[in-house]
Amino acid sequence: MAALLLAASGSLAQGTRLAGEVDAGGLSERIAREKGHVVLVNFWATWCVPCREEFPDLSRLQKAYAAKGLRVIGISTDLERETPAVEKFLGEQKPGFPNYRKKKGGDDQQFIDAIDASWGGELPFTVLYASDGRKARVLSGKRPYSEYEKEVRALLR
Amino acid sequence: MRLVRPTLVLFASLVLPQIALAASPQIGAPAPDFTLKTVDGKTFSLAEAARTHKAVVVMFIATKCPYSNAYNDRMREMAAAYEKQGIVFAGINSNKSEPADEVVSHAKQHGLAFPLMKDPENKVADLYDARHTPEIFVVDPQGKLRYHGRIDENYEDPAKVASPDLKNALDAMLVGKAIARAETKAFGCSIKRV
Repeated sequence: MAALLLAASGSLAQGTRLAGEVDAGGLSERIAREKGHVVLVNFWATWCVPCREEFPDLSRLQKAYAAKGLRVIGISTDLERETPAVEKFLGEQKPGFPNYRKKKGGDDQQFIDAIDASWGGELPFTVLYASDGRKARVLSGKRPYSEYEKEVRALLR
Repeated sequence: MRLVRPTLVLFASLVLPQIALAASPQIGAPAPDFTLKTVDGKTFSLAEAARTHKAVVVMFIATKCPYSNAYNDRMREMAAAYEKQGIVFAGINSNKSEPADEVVSHAKQHGLAFPLMKDPENKVADLYDARHTPEIFVVDPQGKLRYHGRIDENYEDPAKVASPDLKNALDAMLVGKAIARAETKAFGCSIKRV
């Protein structure tokens, strides 16, 4: 049993399992826990091809800048029934950052508007928070690694 | 654990110094006019369609997006039902990765009989700041934008739709009433721009 718990814990640490469910309020609390760090929140889904394409870049970003104060958090907007596909994807990607699934229920518009009023619901969508918790930047759609790196470095200064 | 209320997040969004996104046309403002070739070789002019119908439903759609594809049956059925009431539906595919022949075969497969157009270099998507598929814009006979957003809130199950937003908007327009909810949002696939 201890070995199983350890294995599960290791999977969570590597981000290969979902770390839980969050609604907009829960995500705000999760971001607040990282105060003092630059936080990059990426909203994605397994059915979203550009999301899958840019996902390895987010892992690379986390690895390159974690020691300098970056924290990446992934939010899957997949439906609950798609959890096996989500965890299969995470198992393949081994992202090295925590991923949560958007909590089931409610109107998606409330979640979208609570994250950012300018967000139309397109995926992927990324929000950067400065180390004081202030929302600093929103990025719509897939972006190259160089752009994420530039935005993160500007906030880490 | 320190709690951060969603209202703070909303406030933060209002004071962001820069957003790298253009603004969509406003509800009640003139909808940007456009003319495109349909995939069967005809010409579709928004201004002309608006003049000759009670409303024009402009839908940014895709062939490969699961969210858009979840609405194929609903789009087909609504287009047929509202055509009888003088409303025309039109589909625009702005994805650079989905060529015209794919749009044609996709329409045939799903029985989409309304006008379908490719949007070369996503110029019309840019005019409307359309971000994802499916994304809907409804234009009235005066060429003004009356509705922007989703078809409904439940892509997963059409039998459990609680908020048929597009239908509500069209029904309101047909009887000359104000649209109660003229702007809505839902998740969707980003438009693959050039």
